[in-house]
Amino acid sequence: MKKELLFTFLLAAAALALLAGNALVVQVLRSNLSSKPDFLSASLSPLQKGDRLERIETQGSWYLVRNARGAKGYIHQSAVTASKVTLGSIAPGPKGASPDELALAAKGFDEANEKKLRNSKGYNFSDLNWVMEQEVAVPALAQFIRDGRLK
Amino acid sequence: MKKLLLAAMCALLVSWKPPIDLGKVAKAKKGAELVAGASHKINEEEEYHIGRAVAANILGQYPLWKNGELTRYLNLIGRILALRSGRPEIYGGYHFAMLDAPEANAFSAPGGIIFLTRGIVAMAADEDELAAVLAHEIQHIVVKDPLKAIRSQRLKALGTFTAGEAVGSSSGAFGVFQDSIMDISGTLLQKGYSRGQEKDADLGALKLLAAAGYDPGALLDMLKKIQAVEKKKLKAFSAHPSAAKRIAYVGGNVAAADPALRRARAARFEKFAAGR
Repeated sequence: MKKELLFTFLLAAAALALLAGNALVVQVLRSNLSSKPDFLSASLSPLQKGDRLERIETQGSWYLVRNARGAKGYIHQSAVTASKVTLGSIAPGPKGASPDELALAAKGFDEANEKKLRNSKGYNFSDLNWVMEQEVAVPALAQFIRDGRLK
Repeated sequence: MKKLLLAAMCALLVSWKPPIDLGKVAKAKKGAELVAGASHKINEEEEYHIGRAVAANILGQYPLWKNGELTRYLNLIGRILALRSGRPEIYGGYHFAMLDAPEANAFSAPGGIIFLTRGIVAMAADEDELAAVLAHEIQHIVVKDPLKAIRSQRLKALGTFTAGEAVGSSSGAFGVFQDSIMDISGTLLQKGYSRGQEKDADLGALKLLAAAGYDPGALLDMLKKIQAVEKKKLKAFSAHPSAAKRIAYVGGNVAAADPALRRARAARFEKFAAGR
Protein backbone atom coordinates (compact mmCIF):
# COMPACT_ATOMS: atom_id res chain seq x y z
CA MET A 1 0.00 0.00 0.00
CA LYS A 2 2.82 2.38 0.93
CA LYS A 3 4.61 1.54 -2.32
CA GLU A 4 1.47 2.28 -4.34
CA LEU A 5 1.03 5.63 -2.62
CA LEU A 6 4.65 6.53 -3.23
CA PHE A 7 4.36 5.52 -6.88
CA THR A 8 1.21 7.66 -7.36
CA PHE A 9 2.93 10.61 -5.75
CA LEU A 10 6.02 10.19 -7.92
CA LEU A 11 3.92 9.99 -11.07
CA ALA A 12 2.03 13.15 -10.13
CA ALA A 13 5.34 14.83 -9.37
CA ALA A 14 6.75 13.83 -12.74
CA ALA A 15 3.69 15.14 -14.59
CA LEU A 16 3.86 18.43 -12.69
CA ALA A 17 7.56 18.76 -13.39
CA LEU A 18 6.95 18.35 -17.11
CA LEU A 19 4.14 20.92 -17.04
CA ALA A 20 5.88 23.42 -14.75
CA GLY A 21 7.70 25.19 -17.58
CA ASN A 22 4.42 25.85 -19.38
CA ALA A 23 2.24 26.69 -16.40
CA LEU A 24 0.66 30.15 -16.45
CA VAL A 25 -1.69 31.94 -14.08
CA VAL A 26 -4.11 34.77 -14.92
CA GLN A 27 -2.84 37.95 -13.22
CA VAL A 28 -5.69 40.34 -14.11
CA LEU A 29 -9.13 40.46 -12.47
CA ARG A 30 -10.99 39.38 -15.63
CA SER A 31 -9.96 38.15 -19.07
CA ASN A 32 -11.13 35.80 -21.80
CA LEU A 33 -10.03 32.66 -23.53
CA SER A 34 -10.25 33.95 -27.12
CA SER A 35 -10.95 31.95 -30.26
CA LYS A 36 -8.18 33.81 -32.16
CA PRO A 37 -5.11 35.83 -31.17
CA ASP A 38 -7.22 38.99 -31.38
CA PHE A 39 -9.02 40.89 -28.60
CA LEU A 40 -12.06 41.30 -30.83
CA SER A 41 -12.48 37.57 -31.57
CA ALA A 42 -15.19 35.47 -29.93
CA SER A 43 -14.73 34.58 -26.27
CA LEU A 44 -14.64 30.84 -25.64
CA SER A 45 -14.68 31.13 -21.88
CA PRO A 46 -14.34 33.88 -19.26
CA LEU A 47 -11.21 33.76 -17.12
CA GLN A 48 -10.50 35.35 -13.77
CA LYS A 49 -7.52 36.13 -11.57
CA GLY A 50 -5.77 32.99 -10.38
CA ASP A 51 -7.07 30.67 -13.12
CA ARG A 52 -4.33 28.27 -14.16
CA LEU A 53 -3.50 27.65 -17.82
CA GLU A 54 -1.13 25.43 -19.72
CA ARG A 55 0.88 27.11 -22.48
CA ILE A 56 0.85 25.11 -25.71
CA GLU A 57 2.67 27.57 -27.98
CA THR A 58 3.53 31.24 -28.43
CA GLN A 59 2.24 33.32 -31.35
CA GLY A 60 3.70 36.83 -31.27
CA SER A 61 2.45 38.45 -28.08
CA TRP A 62 -0.25 35.79 -27.60
CA TYR A 63 -0.22 32.33 -26.05
CA LEU A 64 -2.22 29.36 -27.27
CA VAL A 65 -3.29 27.79 -23.97
CA ARG A 66 -5.45 25.03 -22.49
CA ASN A 67 -7.61 25.75 -19.44
CA ALA A 68 -8.41 23.40 -16.55
CA ARG A 69 -11.42 22.02 -18.41
CA GLY A 70 -9.30 21.18 -21.45
CA ALA A 71 -10.58 23.99 -23.69
CA LYS A 72 -7.98 25.49 -26.01
CA GLY A 73 -7.82 29.18 -26.87
CA TYR A 74 -5.67 32.31 -26.91
CA ILE A 75 -4.71 34.80 -24.22
CA HIS A 76 -2.52 37.91 -24.46
CA GLN A 77 0.80 37.76 -22.63
CA SER A 78 -0.02 40.87 -20.58
CA ALA A 79 -2.88 38.98 -18.86
CA VAL A 80 -0.79 36.13 -17.46
CA THR A 81 2.35 35.45 -15.50
CA ALA A 82 4.43 32.32 -15.01
CA SER A 83 2.79 30.08 -12.42
CA LYS A 84 4.35 30.02 -8.97
CA VAL A 85 3.17 26.44 -8.41
CA THR A 86 5.96 24.28 -7.01
CA LEU A 87 6.10 20.71 -5.88
CA GLY A 88 6.47 22.11 -2.38
CA SER A 89 2.73 22.61 -2.41
CA ILE A 90 2.05 18.88 -2.85
CA ALA A 91 5.03 17.52 -0.93
CA PRO A 92 4.61 16.23 2.61
CA GLY A 93 5.54 18.59 5.44
CA PRO A 94 4.59 22.15 6.39
CA LYS A 95 3.25 24.26 3.53
CA GLY A 96 4.45 27.74 2.76
CA ALA A 97 4.71 30.41 0.08
CA SER A 98 7.67 30.36 -2.27
CA PRO A 99 10.21 33.16 -1.94
CA ASP A 100 8.89 34.55 -5.25
CA GLU A 101 5.37 34.59 -3.88
CA LEU A 102 6.58 36.43 -0.80
CA ALA A 103 8.32 39.01 -2.97
CA LEU A 104 5.13 39.50 -4.96
CA ALA A 105 2.83 39.69 -1.94
CA ALA A 106 0.93 42.95 -1.57
CA LYS A 107 2.82 45.13 0.85
CA GLY A 108 0.64 47.97 2.00
CA PHE A 109 -0.86 48.79 -1.40
CA ASP A 110 -3.82 46.51 -0.79
CA GLU A 111 -7.57 46.51 -0.28
CA ALA A 112 -7.26 46.64 3.52
CA ASN A 113 -5.43 49.96 3.37
CA GLU A 114 -7.73 51.23 0.61
CA LYS A 115 -10.69 50.55 2.95
CA LYS A 116 -9.05 52.67 5.66
CA LEU A 117 -8.97 55.59 3.22
CA ARG A 118 -12.60 55.34 2.12
CA ASN A 119 -13.99 57.70 4.72
CA SER A 120 -11.02 60.06 4.70
CA LYS A 121 -11.42 63.69 3.73
CA GLY A 122 -10.21 64.45 0.21
CA TYR A 123 -11.10 61.06 -1.29
CA ASN A 124 -14.21 60.41 -3.38
CA PHE A 125 -14.62 56.64 -3.77
CA SER A 126 -18.33 56.98 -4.52
CA ASP A 127 -17.73 58.72 -7.86
CA LEU A 128 -14.76 56.43 -8.51
CA ASN A 129 -17.11 53.44 -8.32
CA TRP A 130 -19.28 55.03 -11.01
CA VAL A 131 -16.18 55.45 -13.21
CA MET A 132 -15.16 51.81 -12.69
CA GLU A 133 -18.66 50.58 -13.60
CA GLN A 134 -18.46 52.10 -17.10
CA GLU A 135 -17.78 49.06 -19.27
CA VAL A 136 -17.70 48.61 -23.04
CA ALA A 137 -18.68 45.23 -24.48
CA VAL A 138 -16.45 43.68 -27.15
CA PRO A 139 -19.18 43.61 -29.88
CA ALA A 140 -19.78 47.35 -29.37
CA LEU A 141 -16.06 47.96 -29.62
CA ALA A 142 -15.81 45.94 -32.85
CA GLN A 143 -18.73 47.91 -34.33
CA PHE A 144 -17.12 51.22 -33.30
CA ILE A 145 -13.89 50.19 -35.05
CA ARG A 146 -15.70 49.19 -38.26
CA ASP A 147 -17.86 52.34 -38.35
CA GLY A 148 -14.88 54.60 -37.77
CA ARG A 149 -12.59 52.75 -40.22
CA LEU A 150 -10.15 52.08 -37.41
CA LYS A 151 -7.81 49.12 -36.94
CA MET B 1 7.72 -0.18 -14.97
CA LYS B 2 11.07 0.33 -13.23
CA LYS B 3 12.08 2.80 -15.96
CA LEU B 4 8.87 4.77 -15.45
CA LEU B 5 9.48 4.88 -11.72
CA LEU B 6 13.07 5.98 -12.29
CA ALA B 7 11.94 8.76 -14.67
CA ALA B 8 9.40 9.96 -12.16
CA MET B 9 12.00 10.01 -9.39
CA CYS B 10 14.45 11.93 -11.59
CA ALA B 11 11.79 14.50 -12.43
CA LEU B 12 11.00 14.87 -8.76
CA LEU B 13 14.63 15.36 -7.82
CA VAL B 14 15.09 17.98 -10.51
CA SER B 15 12.04 20.08 -9.66
CA TRP B 16 11.14 19.44 -6.04
CA LYS B 17 11.84 22.25 -3.65
CA PRO B 18 11.77 21.57 0.07
CA PRO B 19 8.69 22.91 1.86
CA ILE B 20 9.29 26.47 2.99
CA ASP B 21 8.77 27.78 6.49
CA LEU B 22 6.99 31.09 5.88
CA GLY B 23 8.28 32.63 9.08
CA LYS B 24 11.90 31.72 8.39
CA VAL B 25 11.74 33.02 4.81
CA ALA B 26 10.16 36.29 5.93
CA LYS B 27 12.82 36.80 8.60
CA ALA B 28 15.62 35.90 6.21
CA LYS B 29 14.16 38.21 3.57
CA LYS B 30 13.81 41.06 6.04
CA GLY B 31 17.40 40.62 7.13
CA ALA B 32 18.69 40.46 3.58
CA GLU B 33 16.77 43.54 2.53
CA LEU B 34 17.87 45.58 5.50
CA VAL B 35 21.43 44.84 4.49
CA ALA B 36 20.97 45.27 0.78
CA GLY B 37 18.40 48.09 0.99
CA ALA B 38 16.18 46.23 -1.49
CA SER B 39 13.05 48.04 -2.65
CA HIS B 40 9.62 46.49 -2.77
CA LYS B 41 8.51 45.74 -6.32
CA ILE B 42 4.91 46.81 -6.93
CA ASN B 43 2.83 44.11 -8.58
CA GLU B 44 -0.25 44.45 -10.83
CA GLU B 45 -2.75 44.16 -7.99
CA GLU B 46 -0.98 46.74 -5.86
CA GLU B 47 -0.82 49.13 -8.82
CA TYR B 48 -4.60 48.73 -9.10
CA HIS B 49 -5.20 49.61 -5.43
CA ILE B 50 -2.85 52.57 -5.37
CA GLY B 51 -4.38 53.72 -8.68
CA ARG B 52 -7.88 53.61 -7.19
CA ALA B 53 -6.71 55.68 -4.23
CA VAL B 54 -4.99 58.26 -6.47
CA ALA B 55 -8.10 58.45 -8.69
CA ALA B 56 -10.33 58.90 -5.61
CA ASN B 57 -7.98 61.66 -4.49
CA ILE B 58 -8.28 63.41 -7.88
CA LEU B 59 -12.08 63.06 -7.65
CA GLY B 60 -11.86 64.63 -4.19
CA GLN B 61 -10.38 67.73 -5.80
CA TYR B 62 -12.23 67.88 -9.13
CA PRO B 63 -15.95 67.16 -9.62
CA LEU B 64 -16.75 64.21 -11.87
CA TRP B 65 -18.65 65.08 -15.06
CA LYS B 66 -21.15 62.24 -14.78
CA ASN B 67 -22.50 61.97 -18.33
CA GLY B 68 -23.05 58.32 -19.29
CA GLU B 69 -23.22 58.81 -23.08
CA LEU B 70 -20.13 61.02 -23.35
CA THR B 71 -18.19 58.80 -20.96
CA ARG B 72 -19.11 55.76 -23.05
CA TYR B 73 -17.79 57.49 -26.20
CA LEU B 74 -14.54 58.30 -24.41
CA ASN B 75 -14.26 54.69 -23.21
CA LEU B 76 -14.76 53.32 -26.74
CA ILE B 77 -11.90 55.46 -28.07
CA GLY B 78 -9.69 54.75 -25.07
CA ARG B 79 -10.27 51.00 -25.09
CA ILE B 80 -9.30 50.73 -28.78
CA LEU B 81 -6.08 52.63 -28.12
CA ALA B 82 -5.33 50.53 -25.04
CA LEU B 83 -5.81 47.30 -26.99
CA ARG B 84 -3.20 48.46 -29.51
CA SER B 85 -0.77 49.55 -26.77
CA GLY B 86 2.15 47.70 -25.24
CA ARG B 87 0.00 46.89 -22.21
CA PRO B 88 -3.45 45.93 -23.48
CA GLU B 89 -4.54 43.92 -20.43
CA ILE B 90 -4.24 45.52 -17.04
CA TYR B 91 -5.40 44.27 -13.62
CA GLY B 92 -8.73 46.12 -13.37
CA GLY B 93 -9.02 47.19 -17.02
CA TYR B 94 -8.71 50.71 -18.44
CA HIS B 95 -11.33 53.30 -17.44
CA PHE B 96 -11.82 56.78 -18.89
CA ALA B 97 -13.87 59.62 -17.42
CA MET B 98 -14.33 63.39 -17.55
CA LEU B 99 -13.81 66.02 -14.87
CA ASP B 100 -16.03 69.09 -14.72
CA ALA B 101 -13.17 71.59 -14.72
CA PRO B 102 -12.69 74.48 -17.17
CA GLU B 103 -8.91 74.21 -17.42
CA ALA B 104 -7.40 72.03 -20.16
CA ASN B 105 -5.76 69.01 -18.57
CA ALA B 106 -5.57 65.21 -18.41
CA PHE B 107 -4.39 62.81 -15.71
CA SER B 108 -3.50 59.13 -15.68
CA ALA B 109 -3.70 57.34 -12.33
CA PRO B 110 -1.81 54.06 -11.90
CA GLY B 111 -3.68 50.99 -13.04
CA GLY B 112 -5.27 52.66 -16.06
CA ILE B 113 -7.79 55.20 -14.69
CA ILE B 114 -7.59 58.22 -17.00
CA PHE B 115 -9.33 61.58 -16.59
CA LEU B 116 -9.84 64.37 -19.13
CA THR B 117 -11.08 67.78 -18.01
CA ARG B 118 -14.04 69.53 -19.63
CA GLY B 119 -11.56 72.15 -20.87
CA ILE B 120 -9.48 69.71 -22.93
CA VAL B 121 -12.57 67.89 -24.21
CA ALA B 122 -13.99 71.21 -25.44
CA MET B 123 -10.71 71.95 -27.21
CA ALA B 124 -10.87 68.83 -29.42
CA ALA B 125 -12.22 69.48 -32.92
CA ASP B 126 -12.69 65.83 -33.83
CA GLU B 127 -12.39 62.26 -32.56
CA ASP B 128 -8.73 61.97 -33.58
CA GLU B 129 -7.79 64.93 -31.39
CA LEU B 130 -9.56 63.38 -28.41
CA ALA B 131 -7.75 60.12 -29.20
CA ALA B 132 -4.42 61.98 -29.25
CA VAL B 133 -4.88 63.17 -25.66
CA LEU B 134 -5.94 59.68 -24.53
CA ALA B 135 -3.03 58.02 -26.36
CA HIS B 136 -0.54 60.28 -24.53
CA GLU B 137 -2.06 59.35 -21.15
CA ILE B 138 -2.19 55.63 -22.00
CA GLN B 139 1.53 55.72 -22.82
CA HIS B 140 2.20 56.96 -19.27
CA ILE B 141 0.33 53.87 -17.99
CA VAL B 142 2.15 51.49 -20.35
CA VAL B 143 5.56 52.47 -18.95
CA LYS B 144 4.17 52.90 -15.39
CA ASP B 145 5.21 56.56 -15.10
CA PRO B 146 2.75 57.29 -12.24
CA LEU B 147 4.41 54.62 -10.07
CA LYS B 148 7.82 56.15 -10.72
CA ALA B 149 6.61 59.24 -8.85
CA ILE B 150 6.69 57.28 -5.58
CA ARG B 151 9.77 58.26 -3.62
CA SER B 152 12.30 55.46 -3.44
CA GLN B 153 12.53 55.56 0.36
CA ARG B 154 8.87 54.49 0.61
CA LEU B 155 9.51 51.32 -1.37
CA LYS B 156 12.70 50.70 0.57
CA ALA B 157 10.69 51.01 3.79
CA LEU B 158 8.14 48.51 2.48
CA GLY B 159 10.98 46.19 1.53
CA THR B 160 12.00 45.98 5.18
CA PHE B 161 8.52 44.97 6.38
CA THR B 162 7.72 41.32 6.84
CA ALA B 163 4.60 40.03 5.09
CA GLY B 164 2.63 40.17 8.38
CA GLU B 165 3.67 43.75 9.12
CA ALA B 166 2.77 44.96 5.66
CA VAL B 167 -0.63 43.39 5.04
CA GLY B 168 -3.07 45.97 6.25
CA SER B 169 -2.50 45.58 9.98
CA SER B 170 0.49 47.88 10.28
CA SER B 171 0.09 51.61 10.69
CA GLY B 172 3.54 51.90 9.11
CA ALA B 173 2.36 50.27 5.91
CA PHE B 174 -0.76 52.49 5.84
CA GLY B 175 1.46 55.53 6.27
CA VAL B 176 3.58 54.46 3.32
CA PHE B 177 0.38 53.91 1.30
CA GLN B 178 -0.87 57.43 2.07
CA ASP B 179 2.51 59.04 1.41
CA SER B 180 2.80 57.22 -1.92
CA ILE B 181 -0.62 58.52 -2.99
CA MET B 182 0.53 62.06 -2.17
CA ASP B 183 3.74 61.52 -4.19
CA ILE B 184 1.74 60.49 -7.25
CA SER B 185 -1.05 63.07 -6.89
CA GLY B 186 1.55 65.79 -6.40
CA THR B 187 3.28 64.79 -9.60
CA LEU B 188 0.06 64.49 -11.60
CA LEU B 189 -1.59 67.69 -10.39
CA GLN B 190 1.35 70.02 -9.73
CA LYS B 191 4.93 68.94 -10.25
CA GLY B 192 4.56 67.03 -13.50
CA TYR B 193 6.66 64.29 -15.06
CA SER B 194 10.17 64.87 -16.35
CA ARG B 195 10.62 66.28 -19.85
CA GLY B 196 12.01 62.93 -20.92
CA GLN B 197 8.90 61.10 -19.68
CA GLU B 198 6.62 63.58 -21.49
CA LYS B 199 8.60 63.33 -24.70
CA ASP B 200 8.46 59.52 -24.59
CA ALA B 201 4.70 59.65 -23.97
CA ASP B 202 4.22 61.98 -26.96
CA LEU B 203 6.35 59.86 -29.29
CA GLY B 204 4.68 56.67 -28.03
CA ALA B 205 1.28 58.28 -28.59
CA LEU B 206 2.13 58.91 -32.25
CA LYS B 207 2.80 55.19 -32.77
CA LEU B 208 -0.27 54.21 -30.79
CA LEU B 209 -2.54 56.50 -32.82
CA ALA B 210 -1.21 55.04 -36.05
CA ALA B 211 -1.60 51.46 -34.77
CA ALA B 212 -5.27 52.10 -33.95
CA GLY B 213 -5.97 53.81 -37.29
CA TYR B 214 -6.15 57.38 -35.96
CA ASP B 215 -4.24 60.26 -37.57
CA PRO B 216 -1.02 60.89 -35.56
CA GLY B 217 -1.14 64.47 -36.86
CA ALA B 218 -4.05 65.03 -34.46
CA LEU B 219 -1.55 65.23 -31.58
CA LEU B 220 0.23 68.07 -33.35
CA ASP B 221 -3.11 69.80 -33.91
CA MET B 222 -3.95 69.55 -30.21
CA LEU B 223 -0.53 70.84 -29.16
CA LYS B 224 -0.97 73.90 -31.38
CA LYS B 225 -4.27 74.64 -29.63
CA ILE B 226 -2.64 74.23 -26.23
CA GLN B 227 0.12 76.59 -27.35
CA ALA B 228 -2.48 79.20 -28.30
CA VAL B 229 -4.05 78.89 -24.83
CA GLU B 230 -0.63 79.17 -23.18
CA LYS B 231 0.04 82.40 -25.10
CA LYS B 232 -3.11 83.86 -23.56
CA LYS B 233 -1.61 82.96 -20.15
CA LEU B 234 -4.54 80.68 -19.41
CA LYS B 235 -4.20 77.46 -17.41
CA ALA B 236 -3.53 74.51 -19.71
CA PHE B 237 -1.48 71.38 -19.00
CA SER B 238 0.28 73.27 -16.24
CA ALA B 239 2.25 70.18 -15.17
CA HIS B 240 3.54 69.53 -18.71
CA PRO B 241 6.46 71.04 -20.65
CA SER B 242 5.55 73.99 -22.87
CA ALA B 243 3.56 73.16 -26.00
CA ALA B 244 6.21 74.90 -28.15
CA LYS B 245 8.85 72.39 -27.06
CA ARG B 246 6.49 69.47 -27.62
CA ILE B 247 5.50 70.74 -31.06
CA ALA B 248 9.17 70.83 -32.05
CA TYR B 249 9.77 67.11 -31.52
CA VAL B 250 6.28 65.85 -32.36
CA GLY B 251 6.23 67.80 -35.63
CA GLY B 252 9.36 66.05 -36.84
CA ASN B 253 7.83 62.63 -36.29
CA VAL B 254 4.39 62.96 -37.85
CA ALA B 255 3.71 61.15 -41.11
CA ALA B 256 0.96 62.36 -43.45
CA ALA B 257 -2.35 60.50 -43.08
CA ASP B 258 -5.37 60.17 -45.37
CA PRO B 259 -7.76 63.04 -44.37
CA ALA B 260 -10.74 61.02 -45.61
CA LEU B 261 -10.22 58.52 -42.79
CA ARG B 262 -10.39 61.30 -40.20
CA ARG B 263 -13.62 62.59 -41.77
CA ALA B 264 -15.14 59.07 -41.51
CA ARG B 265 -15.51 59.65 -37.79
CA ALA B 266 -16.97 63.17 -38.07
CA ALA B 267 -20.66 62.27 -37.67
CA ARG B 268 -20.32 60.44 -34.39
CA PHE B 269 -18.00 63.11 -33.01
CA GLU B 270 -20.62 65.77 -33.86
CA LYS B 271 -23.11 63.82 -31.76
CA PHE B 272 -20.60 63.75 -28.90
CA ALA B 273 -19.73 67.43 -29.36
CA ALA B 274 -23.38 68.43 -29.11
CA GLY B 275 -23.46 66.99 -25.58
CA ARG B 276 -20.30 68.67 -24.35
